[in-house]
Amino acid sequence: MSKYIPTIGIEVHVELKTNTKIFSPSINGYGQMANSLTNEIDLGYPGTLPTLNEEVINLGIKAATILNCKIRKQMFFDRKNYFYPDNPKNYQITQNRTPIGYDGYVEIDDNGVKKKIYIEEMHIEEDTCKSTHRKDKTLLDFNRAGVPLIEIVTKPCMTTSTEAKLYLEKLKELLFYADVSDCKMEEGSMRADANVSIRKNESDPFGTKAEIKNIGSISNVGLSIEKEIERQAKLYDEGKTFKEQTRRFDSKLNDTVLMRVKETGNDYRYFPEPDIPFVVITDEMIENVKKTIPMLPDERRETYKKLGVSDINTTKLVQNRSLSDYFNELLAEKTNFQIASNLLLGDISAYLNMHEKLIADTTLTKERFLDLIKLMEDKTLTSKNLKDILDDVLESKKSITEIMKDKGIENITDDKEIREVIKKIITENPDSVNDYKNGHDRAIKFLMGQVMKETKGKVNPQVAMEILTDELH
Amino acid sequence: MKYLEKSIKEINDLLKKGTIKPIDLVEEAFERIEADKDLNAYITLNKEEALKQAKELETKEVNNLLFGIPIAIKDNILTKDLRTTAASHILDNFIPIYDATVVEKIKAHNMIIVGKTNMDEFAMGSSSRTSYFGAPKNPWNNNKISGGSSGGSATTIAARHVPFALGSDTGGSIRQPASYTGIVGMKPTYGRVSRYGVIAFASSLDQLGPMTQNVLNNALLLNVISGHDPRDMTSSHREVEDYTRLIGKDIKGKKIAVPKFLMSDIVDSEIIKTIEGVIEVLKENGATVDYIDMKYLDNAVTLYQIIAMGEASSNLARFDGIRYGLSHKDPKSHEDLYLETRREGFGKEVKRRIMVGSYLLSGDNAKTYYNKALSIRDDMAKEFDKVFKKYDYVIGPTTTTTAYNLDDPMDDPSKSFMDDVLVIPVNMAGLPGLGIPVGFDKNHMPIGMHIIGNKFEEAEMYRLGSFIEDKLNLDLNPKGGE
Repeated sequence: MSKYIPTIGIEVHVELKTNTKIFSPSINGYGQMANSLTNEIDLGYPGTLPTLNEEVINLGIKAATILNCKIRKQMFFDRKNYFYPDNPKNYQITQNRTPIGYDGYVEIDDNGVKKKIYIEEMHIEEDTCKSTHRKDKTLLDFNRAGVPLIEIVTKPCMTTSTEAKLYLEKLKELLFYADVSDCKMEEGSMRADANVSIRKNESDPFGTKAEIKNIGSISNVGLSIEKEIERQAKLYDEGKTFKEQTRRFDSKLNDTVLMRVKETGNDYRYFPEPDIPFVVITDEMIENVKKTIPMLPDERRETYKKLGVSDINTTKLVQNRSLSDYFNELLAEKTNFQIASNLLLGDISAYLNMHEKLIADTTLTKERFLDLIKLMEDKTLTSKNLKDILDDVLESKKSITEIMKDKGIENITDDKEIREVIKKIITENPDSVNDYKNGHDRAIKFLMGQVMKETKGKVNPQVAMEILTDELH
Repeated sequence: MKYLEKSIKEINDLLKKGTIKPIDLVEEAFERIEADKDLNAYITLNKEEALKQAKELETKEVNNLLFGIPIAIKDNILTKDLRTTAASHILDNFIPIYDATVVEKIKAHNMIIVGKTNMDEFAMGSSSRTSYFGAPKNPWNNNKISGGSSGGSATTIAARHVPFALGSDTGGSIRQPASYTGIVGMKPTYGRVSRYGVIAFASSLDQLGPMTQNVLNNALLLNVISGHDPRDMTSSHREVEDYTRLIGKDIKGKKIAVPKFLMSDIVDSEIIKTIEGVIEVLKENGATVDYIDMKYLDNAVTLYQIIAMGEASSNLARFDGIRYGLSHKDPKSHEDLYLETRREGFGKEVKRRIMVGSYLLSGDNAKTYYNKALSIRDDMAKEFDKVFKKYDYVIGPTTTTTAYNLDDPMDDPSKSFMDDVLVIPVNMAGLPGLGIPVGFDKNHMPIGMHIIGNKFEEAEMYRLGSFIEDKLNLDLNPKGGE
């Protein structure tokens, strides 16, 4: 193991899920024709002024709440001045001195060990436009200019790439569940920068840091941190030093690459944005936002486990928010939650994936689903039966029993009746019974086949097998 | 054909009766403007469009007092499809894709825009001599400045080309030229008029206002342009009132304060004497006038320089040659594009202010200068609050001198700020300020008085302004004959 202690801090930008941009009425959308979602404000035309989108403040409050941050009650915006072609006004409206949230944390579970990752601050700002470099030209797409962002900055409190990855996964899950952002790293709606330094002892001051910008996936965040730790350790081992710098992760090289060495500190000439008055956040606003926060993943996992759902099903359910939301509708009911989760994650998921549908797009109301669970539980409906009727269950509004009747599924659920049939089969097939008793296991399968034939498949095979075994002994 | 000499009410009656048509007014306006081409009041004329619009109005009902009346717009206010340059080379090919909110309002009232008036480049200056298009001339003496930065609007109003013009005032740019040219200019309360579509100079100080030949017209135009704008978060939600409602009312019992600083030896004695004469008239008519001490007034120019230049350095960053305006051909890199475009495009004064402003916001300077200036500015506003608890108006001269010569040296950059020393405190405190003509110096150049009111008390200020206007009854036509 390395003789150095790494120090890692993470900065995350997430695009907020609003209808319109932060300072203009243009649509906040992804994947549209270049420059089709812009107006004079997004283009930084002379004379334009920002109008603050209230949705953004509410999502900011929401994010601050779920990240356990304190919320600034009186805040303003600042101008960050720098020239760059993707920055239409050549200043970015952000929050430098009064970030909406501060002093928060996210709790991660590192192999059973819980750890709080501390959040220094989170602030609201506008996104820049997107530049695409083509030979000697740069193309600018202003659709992204003015998309609302929150930037979430941790304290330098992580020491392993695993912690960094767990933090990002947790952050992503929380922001996604709270509907703050869709957190798609591949579309750039969530972007991560990692600050990495190493030192020998905990008592030493922090080492020189490198910032790895704009890493495209959580696994690459982990990888780039590991590579960066290695690189820095090698330099120190060789007795070398290096300057504070900005790097990027090259996924082809699988390594970090130098972008620029930081000269003197950047001078952004911050000053309070005079075009936007103070924003006052009232307790009432915070309360109203809190009401819109759904049950968060940790609580869901805890609840599901308590209701008897297996660990694996719990994990899988929480990974699929629409199924988990649907499952949550059942929480107040008396039902078999394990069967419910099996159904949702098994046949129903398969159907939804195949048809590219959401559960909400099907006809499976809560009441019909509860009936289905009950029929499965009392074995009136077999797994095979379910496959036969699944399309109707999810596409028609008929009751489950009606669907069964239509399909001719009338299972014999009366144990006595099944036992009579089995006794009859045993009497009629003494040779097979003998074979079984002499240790030929295949004989029991033949006997089962006879039972199924006799009942025309209308018994639950599991139940029949139990009774058959019982009668043979 | 001298319809434009008549009162707005008379013109309105003639239009209603059908005796005249809007096109008569527009044609007369252009005759006057073209006869005075030498005054260089306009950067861009809108003749063809104005005539077309006047024709179109013939089928419409005369639905308001300002219907069909020509108006001039300062060239830092965006007019859709009509070139808007802010008197800068960097925008001399800029055709806006939208109308400023005030322009929308003017068009909604069927007023007719005759052109865009000359000004200091990006409104930075006090004599309009920083204009890329050359300075406008004072109609009272063509060797003199019209003041600035709204010098073109002042010129066109003083020369009786049109009855209405819009100006902008960041640190006296409506009131000071109004004073130099003998017209009425109002800088309304910060937030009274939308800034959307106005090329920003110093966002926390900029405000648009009317420039007219008399107080009544001024109030009429303020009625049109005021009001909350959802596109300007700094615009006030306060309801718009009829700003003409107190015009003609007496001033008995009104309490007036005169800060001693405004009447100190920084002001020419001729101007002081004229203002003292007005004060006597006010007293005779039942107002009380007290000379008072006020803190911070002498700091205003310094504070203004810090705040205005700091904000300007950021506001003007967007002129980079990428999306609109001048763009340096074949740049070597994007840095080169910025440097060359801005080197070619901006004039000397603008560059100076961007540099000083950038310095003021740089590193720890922001704390030392900008933030400190903001806090003293609050103190200054509080000082005015105190005065307005006791008084209805604060008055004094608008300028320390009358208009000076066009060829006076421009080598002292602080001179242009000192021209506005008496009017800048009003911008700093966000208050309304009204400039009215009250006399002439020995060379027959106009002298102006400055009336400061409490926030949103524009109607009260028009009461006092019109009262003085009525009592003095000056001949304010540079060509004589009124």
